[in-house]
Amino acid sequence: MPSTRTRRSSVPALAGSALVCALIAAPVHAQSKAPLTVEELARRLQAIEQRLGTAPAAGEATDANGLADLDQRLRVIERKLDLQAEEAEARVASTPVVSLSAAKGLSVKSPPPGDVELKFRGLAQADGRFYIDDDAFPQNDTFLWRRAQLTIEGSWGPLLAFRLTPELAGDSVTLLDAWADLRFNPAATLRIGKTKAPVGLERLQASNATEAIELGFPSELAPGRDIGVQLQGEVAKGTVSYVAGVYNGTVDGRDAATTNPDNNFEFAGRVFVEPWKNAANALSGLGFGIAGSQGDKEGTGNNFLPRYRTPGQVQFFNYRSAVIADGEQTRWSPQAYYYRNAFGALAEYISSEQQVRLPTTGANAKIENTAWQLLAGYVLTGEDAGYRGVARPNHPFTVGSAGWGAWELVARYGELEIDEDAFPVFADPNAVAQRAKSWGVGVNWYLTGNFKLVANYTQTDFDGGAAAGADREDEKAFFTRAQFSF
Amino acid sequence: MKTLIRNAALGLAMVLATGLAHAKDVQLLNVSYDPTREFYADVNQTFAAQWKQQTGEALTIRASHGGSGKQARAVIDGLEADVVTLALAADIDAIATNGKLLPADWQKRLPHNSAPYTSTIVFLVRKGNPKQIRDWGDLVKPGIGIITPNPKTSGGARWNYLAAWAWASQEYRDGDKVVDYLTRLFKNVPVLDTGARGATTTFVERGIGDVLLAWENEALLTLGDADTREKFEIVVPSLSIKAEPPVAWVDKNVDRHGTRKVAEAYLRFLYTPEGQRLAAKHGYRPAEPDKVPAAELQRFPNVKQVTIDSAFGGWKKAQAEHFADGGFFDKIYRPR
Repeated sequence: MPSTRTRRSSVPALAGSALVCALIAAPVHAQSKAPLTVEELARRLQAIEQRLGTAPAAGEATDANGLADLDQRLRVIERKLDLQAEEAEARVASTPVVSLSAAKGLSVKSPPPGDVELKFRGLAQADGRFYIDDDAFPQNDTFLWRRAQLTIEGSWGPLLAFRLTPELAGDSVTLLDAWADLRFNPAATLRIGKTKAPVGLERLQASNATEAIELGFPSELAPGRDIGVQLQGEVAKGTVSYVAGVYNGTVDGRDAATTNPDNNFEFAGRVFVEPWKNAANALSGLGFGIAGSQGDKEGTGNNFLPRYRTPGQVQFFNYRSAVIADGEQTRWSPQAYYYRNAFGALAEYISSEQQVRLPTTGANAKIENTAWQLLAGYVLTGEDAGYRGVARPNHPFTVGSAGWGAWELVARYGELEIDEDAFPVFADPNAVAQRAKSWGVGVNWYLTGNFKLVANYTQTDFDGGAAAGADREDEKAFFTRAQFSF
Repeated sequence: MKTLIRNAALGLAMVLATGLAHAKDVQLLNVSYDPTREFYADVNQTFAAQWKQQTGEALTIRASHGGSGKQARAVIDGLEADVVTLALAADIDAIATNGKLLPADWQKRLPHNSAPYTSTIVFLVRKGNPKQIRDWGDLVKPGIGIITPNPKTSGGARWNYLAAWAWASQEYRDGDKVVDYLTRLFKNVPVLDTGARGATTTFVERGIGDVLLAWENEALLTLGDADTREKFEIVVPSLSIKAEPPVAWVDKNVDRHGTRKVAEAYLRFLYTPEGQRLAAKHGYRPAEPDKVPAAELQRFPNVKQVTIDSAFGGWKKAQAEHFADGGFFDKIYRPR
């Protein structure tokens, strides 16, 4: 007797039992008209066979032994139901799973083991920017598409993962993320392509998860997206994450050019620790780390020397046009965040030091610019805050019902200071500021898990930056955003 | 720049070392047909122990079983079999032709056309043979319920079909009558399972039908259980067919997995005295019976057998004429 037999599904068994019951328990009205006979049962069984498409061919002989014949025909029906169930099961096992949900967007997953998966994500941010009392440095009030991104990401077998994110919001389409991961194990993944350089804490946050509309001062000194190769992973049960890579190198606060503009590479790395991540205590949401980059830059223009902006997106510092980057650039950034229930806070400091030279005079110096910020938020409606964003609202906004979504208040303070040695040789003190200090408040209304409305007010004051050594006029910016993401 | 290159090389070496650290154990996937479960479970255990002793490598052999045609399709579609041990050469031919995973002349690589064991088709009937089924002609009598799997998905079913065709050809010597015979035979089949093991379940466990057209090894395995022996018996027909289930390593997969050596050794093991003895133990007729004690061969009765080559001109021709879309089987059998 073979030890392994085809597994008998309970569904057909139940169906078979139901058929038996249906045959034996004749309808009341039928019972009242005629006595239960083998012929009557055979007639009803034949009707069921015809409905199931299992009826013997017309004129096909059946056993004259009444009950035995009925028994065989019933067994055949049961077995065919078994086989149909097995076939359906096999079909499910070989059919890709397509899922579409508000929470996770659209995805297509291969049949088991399901290691090929495509996910489609979207992010659209429609902003309004309004400047108040901007008489000395007038800015255009404007509506704009800040981001319009469609991301395709997924895995292609257990080893390979990828992401491709074009940005459609600008005047031309640009490629934001374009990378492939070789996932050797959780402790070692090799990422190749264009991705966020691992330095700025807020810069590394997903664009749909930042608490304020625009990033703070430290992100102006951190590198943006860069092209290269990085090794990354998590160790110690996920409490320590690391990234170390080599990239083309990019100027402070901006994404890398398409190719390496100066034949020099930049190394960058980051170690971030969340010691109590796996515990359930008040410190489980605490994370801190250190990041840095080092490399040479040689050239002049926007691909080599930075231009710094306020959180209101107005440029307040740049080097004189004749200045060139002429050697080593080093960044380092201690950083931390803390999230506990509805409260979240993020703090970071960054220093960016660059060797510069003014060829016309031969003057050269190492200019060290620094920035820091403290950002905190509280979700009034009680949803959990987190580095990956606020959790889905407990009571999404619904017209005509009690749900009002989630509400979060946000406050930020930050400073950016230019090295005094930059003035007046490398930067014009009558045109650019030496220091900017900014505070801001905001409110985030998460109507649903996919849609939020944001309003920010930011005020920035400056040291220097105006004619005759005067301070540049304070910047007062009111920004709004409508964000849809999935 | 030199520092950069040195550091990059070091990093790459670390990454590769991390990846290769998992490559200590050796794994093989044997994709087989339906009734070989017990046989290969035994073979796998014996060979893995032998391989460990010879090489020190821990070998894990995974097995996948199902209708032979379905299994071949799965390999073509990406199931990464290191070796295939299927019911008939046509299925491995399909992997070679449609999947390009092994050379077309794969059958010449191992002795006996790569068939280390053979079997034949017999009848399993209920004890006492109440319907008096003695030969193929009895199968088409009115009221006889025949259990056989679907030739479209099962290798065993194709052997059943061809054995019936061979008998009818000798009996009637008229093509139309042969087709008529097969048509009447399949009219007596109430359920078409996808594989031989499923058909055995239908007949033995579900009590459906009067006769199971079965691999000899499957019939012998069924009667290996004392309780079952009380309920069934084997009828050997006057003519049957020599079924030659072949084996092959899948070149593209073994090269990708780095398992060529162990895959080849695994299949060659089937030809050793130990492999041949295990085949006989599980009801397969050893291709080299002289390697097996005579006592272990006594349970195989003498059966007059045709071969696929002599009666049908080889598998390629038989497949095209009988089982391809629009072939004889499609004309003979109409799903109800």
